Amino acid sequence: MGDESKNSSEEPSQVNQDELILAQQRQIEKEISESIPLVGEMEPISSLNSEYANDEVYLEKIKDLSSKYKHIRRTRPDGNCFFRAYSYAGLERLLDKKDEFNAFYKQAEESKDALVQLGFQQFTVEDFYDIYMEVLKRVGDLTDVDDAKKTLHFLFNEQGYSDYMVVYLRLLTSGQLQKDQDFYSCFIEGDRTVADFCHQEVEPMYKESDHIHIIAACAALNMGVRVVYMDRGNNKSVTEHDFPEGCTPLVHLLYRPGHYDILYP
Amino acid sequence: MSTPARRRLMRDFKRLQEDPPTGVSGAPTDNNIMIWNAVIFGPHDTPFEDGTFKLTIEFTEEYPNKPPTVRFVSHMFHPNVYADGGICLDILQNRWSPTYDVSAILTSIQSLLSDPNPNSPANSMAAQLYKENRREYEKRVKACVEQSFID
Repeated sequence: MGDESKNSSEEPSQVNQDELILAQQRQIEKEISESIPLVGEMEPISSLNSEYANDEVYLEKIKDLSSKYKHIRRTRPDGNCFFRAYSYAGLERLLDKKDEFNAFYKQAEESKDALVQLGFQQFTVEDFYDIYMEVLKRVGDLTDVDDAKKTLHFLFNEQGYSDYMVVYLRLLTSGQLQKDQDFYSCFIEGDRTVADFCHQEVEPMYKESDHIHIIAACAALNMGVRVVYMDRGNNKSVTEHDFPEGCTPLVHLLYRPGHYDILYP
Repeated sequence: MSTPARRRLMRDFKRLQEDPPTGVSGAPTDNNIMIWNAVIFGPHDTPFEDGTFKLTIEFTEEYPNKPPTVRFVSHMFHPNVYADGGICLDILQNRWSPTYDVSAILTSIQSLLSDPNPNSPANSMAAQLYKENRREYEKRVKACVEQSFID
């Protein structure tokens, strides 16, 4: 409107804004990926102190946290941190419990057909499923638990494997949401259907996870998680929440606004 | 060396050959599987009918976790196509999902030709004509169709 000269020109002169934004996004992601590994080494809880020097609120809470947990394992803040941390920590724990690992493996084997039945495209699901099962098999086949954990750590830091683990867990989460959509639809804001929500917020990589993702992921893998919240809130202690409520959590995660890391009691 | 992206692109190519969607085709370039050439035929009952529009698709090693860059090589007059051939389509930007493959990308662009979104314009003149002067819009599109035979 009102810009007659522009409208009458022969060639459209708009700059491709989408590509500029994407280019900037990629630059930021590159900087993060060069400085933080996908899944880091185990560190003492006290290592958090240096991030919050002079911040009394957080220092107080770190003290509380260290009375409950000994170690933290950081993950890369790339929007996939919940899925990556949850998947890594879950498998790491299962490697200590062969029977439970085998049950988990069996459940994973059957998951592809369930997704295809829900309407996921066989061709693309298979690609992620194959890698997911390859990782489970490679760590599961090792009889020495320490070797298995080292392999798990190695694979989760190989971008190709690690990201495929995340994608497949995102697909399983999406499948769970769609399977129980009557239940989950109440938690979705706006006019979106559960399927829309899954396409926009669950399946795409780098999309951050909310409670609804966590609830559905836990239901899909049948594996409970305790999330410990540490933020600038008034209370002096960290707050805990178990998903699903009342479970005995296998995985413990630390949540700081916008990011999940793994905790070890 | 086979990387997840390259392995996946071989699968995409195989599927595109075995089960080609109507009106689109695509293949990797001779010496680089990361760069593809594709053609979209203008959909029937649209002003793009009979056009053969060429595109390039550039993948990174992050495919399929990130979308490829898709660009029309043929000159286009369309509300959602930039002057440089870049395409404004949600699934190629913020709504990309790793479950999409090359077939899905090409068929989505094909349906964008039939159903432009003038509210998110990459070419404001095309968007304005599409909304306010459909006859002129169609005339401009037909000129692109004819040019696509020569390109």
